[in-house]
Order: sequence, then structure tokens, then C-alpha cells
Amino acid sequence: MNLTEFLDRTASNWPDKTALIEGDRAVSYVELVENTLALAAQLRKLQLSSACRVGICFPNSVNYVALTFALWRINAVVVPIPTECTEEELSSIATTMQLEAILSRNARSQSVSLGPDVFFTRLTPALPPDNHGLNLAFIRFTSGTTSARKGVALCHETIGDRVLAANQALRIGPADTVMWCLPMAHHFLVTIVLYLSQGATIVLARHVLSRPFLEAANRWQGTVLYAAPFHYSMLARDSSGAKLNSVRLAVSTTCSLPQEVAVSFQQRFGLPLSQALGVIELGLVCVNVDDSTARWDSVGRPLPKYAVNIRNPDEDGYGEVVVSGPGFFDAYTNPWTSRDDLMPDGWFNTGDIGRVDPQGYLYLAGRKTAVINLAGRKVFPEEIEAVLNRHPAVRESRAYGAAHPHLGEVVEAEVVLRDATTTDTLRDFCRGHLSPDKVPSRFHVVQIIPKTTVTGKIRRQPTPPVA
Amino acid sequence: MIEPTGVQVRLLEFLRAGMFSADTEVTVETDLIASGFDSLSLVSLLVFIEQTYGLWIPQNEINEANLKNIRAIAAVVVRLLNERQPPS
Repeated sequence: MNLTEFLDRTASNWPDKTALIEGDRAVSYVELVENTLALAAQLRKLQLSSACRVGICFPNSVNYVALTFALWRINAVVVPIPTECTEEELSSIATTMQLEAILSRNARSQSVSLGPDVFFTRLTPALPPDNHGLNLAFIRFTSGTTSARKGVALCHETIGDRVLAANQALRIGPADTVMWCLPMAHHFLVTIVLYLSQGATIVLARHVLSRPFLEAANRWQGTVLYAAPFHYSMLARDSSGAKLNSVRLAVSTTCSLPQEVAVSFQQRFGLPLSQALGVIELGLVCVNVDDSTARWDSVGRPLPKYAVNIRNPDEDGYGEVVVSGPGFFDAYTNPWTSRDDLMPDGWFNTGDIGRVDPQGYLYLAGRKTAVINLAGRKVFPEEIEAVLNRHPAVRESRAYGAAHPHLGEVVEAEVVLRDATTTDTLRDFCRGHLSPDKVPSRFHVVQIIPKTTVTGKIRRQPTPPVA
Repeated sequence: MIEPTGVQVRLLEFLRAGMFSADTEVTVETDLIASGFDSLSLVSLLVFIEQTYGLWIPQNEINEANLKNIRAIAAVVVRLLNERQPPS
């Protein structure tokens, strides 16, 4: 099985239907398929190894989508690289993920052009990657430091399963037009691949300033919004009077939805926000499509093929959220660990704390995982700590997500100092090595960083959702 | 009173270093949205302003006019700073 079959089937059913809109340019399904075939032919001439891993570093664009499907056509494994990565971060991903090439929008040293705004850079991994015989399509890295960086590896079949499972709730079809503003480097499978598999039209919103976004939504008659609370918060404050009359579903994802945003958006547009729980290892587990007005604070009931359980609940019913269902990840890379080894009982611990009400709706109350959610982007504390620990005045550090009323979370850090230094010095040092959103907003000088007693690893604190 | 020039210089340094490729010429008059200033850039800029000046630009001030160029953004930052700290 190959995910390009999804796209080809849609193009066969609705060849002239618009697949993607970027600015004023509309690309039909048949044009998109032809685009991917032409790019795949160019990539074949470059004689990449079978099942090699290729990094893709592009902003949201038709090119991003076409190149991903072109790579799948030649059986390459796609590794998304966020455009905000510094050169140092990109280099680390390339090494750890054993990339054989990078496709980027900007020219790089020794890159060759494959067309307007598409550059190919060949790399030489120290060792060829071992995909353990799996039909891999996609690897997303989930951590930052070279030693701790690991990838979530997903096969074509796995992604196909989770896409079809998710659509039992989302019910995306050819009548839908999705207004898209999240970064594709962080969100692609149960979103872009799903929409294209069902014949929907995707409008690539250039930015999310409320007025142009609303103009685009009304011009293209958007039916589905999929965005973070940060985006909905801006839309809720729009004073233009524009409505979203064509929208049937507005999904809020990436971090918990503040009540103020839920209420103000509903008042402004008469449209409830449906919270969702998506996990890279699992796909879309829950989305509140049937009671998002009264239960605005719930991520909904599990999708038809998923089951949610609360492990070790306290007296109020809150415990660890564990999930079973289709489309679970196939393995972690670096070191390679298969799904079956990691979850022999078939249940995956999401790292979230939550409860389930008698009607089966899941409510999240915070997270035990360390990943920091910043307006739709995932930031991993290890990569910030790795930079801070290189500063001569820092003995050790701990980065974490601090609740932020508009962005979900921002990065903060605790540092144990070896020599006196200032916050400005540490921040400037971080700016030299990290993309802007990863630079800690606050530094706290502490005497000790708590460690787990067994492994000596940094103890990660749960992050409560912002009230 | 806080003057806009210093704020413009800080914002210019930040945008040049963090958001635009080395071969892009950026001045205080550069039309940011036409130059590819997207939602990722917006979040990074808002975080930078919060880190540097300790203020969050309210969502109702985040619009095309106030984000047109660095001169416009700096004017908003200066106005908010001066509102917060009246001249002594």
C-alpha cells in the first residue's frame, strides 16, 4: 500500500475539483497528481537509495504537498523539518535521522534546483538507515538533543488506517473546503492527507490576521477550520462584522482551549469550537463533534475505533489517559524500538491526565509529558537544555512549558549556575542557537534540578492548562 | 517617554536574524506581510516583544495596519509602553 493511492483515487473521481488554493492560484486534483509525477521523475533521476529518508523544509505551500507525495511515489521516507529551525538544529536532525537528502525552499550549499523555489541537497549519512523491513512513509522527530532525539516512525498502512478512522468523526468530503493555517511541518497526516483522500479543497491561509483570514474564508466558502486557540482568539476579537456562515466545523487543537476563547468565539460567530485530542503516536483519538456547546471543555468521546481508559484514577476520577485503537505508530527510531515492545498490552499512555464522564466524554486536566505546545508548534525541552548547558556559566538546566493566556504555553527554564551571569546573556546565547520561539521567556536561577531517583533523569513537571 | 527609534532597531535586528533569509533586505518600511510574514513569524515576534519589553500586544491590536512594517509595530509597542509607564 502507498498513500499516493489516496490522492490518485481522488484525482480519478474528481479530476477537476480544486485540491489546493495558495493565494490566487487554484490547483486541481489532476494538476496536483501531474505535479507529483513530474517531481517524482526528477527525484528518480537523482538515484536515491531505496527507502531512503529525505528531509523536507518548506513553509505551507503547494510545493510542500506535491513534494511529500512525490517522495512517497519513489518510496522515500519523509522527515519534516520545521522552517524555523536554525542551521544547527537542521544539521542535528539530518545526522540523527540519517537523511540522504534535504528538499528546501531556499538554496543550500551544493544544492541543485528542481524548479522554482525547490532545491535538492544530497547528504551522506554515516550509516544507511535501517527501516527494519517496514513500509515506512514518515518519521517525525520528537526530541531535540542528539542523544535524546528520537523519531516516531509510521508506515503507509498505519497512516491510512488513522486517516480513515478519523474521518468517521470529521466526515470530510468533496463538499468541504478546509481553511488551513497550522504549520504542515507539525501537522500533515490526519489533516492534509485526510482532506486530499476525501476530495476536499484546502485553502492555505497566508496568515491568520483576522480580516484577511475571514475574507479568504468567505471568498472560498470555507466549511472547516482547523487551528489552535491562539488563532481562534484573534478571530474572536475581529471587529469587522464578517461572519463565518459557510463553516460547519471549527476544530481547536494543539493545547487546551481557554474558556474565554471558547465563549468569545461562539458569541462572535455563533459557532462552537470542537476540541480535539491528537497524538503523533496515535492519530486523532477524540474530537468533540457532537456536544461542543455544552461540553466546550471536553475533547469529546473516543472515535469509533478507539478506546480510552483512565489508569490509576484519584478520588475525583482523574488519572492517566491510556488509549487503544487503529493506526498506532510502528516504532521509535534512535534507538529502534517497535510498538509491540513498547506497549505489549495494546494500550498507549498519552502522558495526559484526565477523566471520563458517565456519557463517555473525556476531559483533560494537564499533561505529564514534557513537550511544550506553543500556538500549534511542539517544542522539546531537551533541545533547549542542550544549548543552555553549553553556556560556560551554566552547570545544568531544565526547560518546561509555562501556561500562557494566548499561546497555550511558552518556554521557561531553570538554570543552576556555575558562574554569575545575567538573564540577557543567557537569552542572547539561546538566540544564537535556537529558533526564536524556543528561546526561554523567563529564566529562574535555582540551586538544584530535581532528578528521578532511579534513572537520574531530569524530573519533568506536569503543566496545568491555563484557566 | 520611550522613543520609537530604539524599539525599531531591536525589532529590525530580531527580524533580520530570525525570520528572513540573509539575502532579503529588510528596513523599517518593508511590507512584512507581502514579504512572507506568516503566522509562525507572528507568534515568534509576539513572544520576542513580550520577552524584551514585558508586554503582550492585545489580540485586538494584531491587525494589518499595526503589523504593516517595523515602523508600525514599533509605534504600537512604544504607545503601550508609554501607557503603562506615564512620563515622570
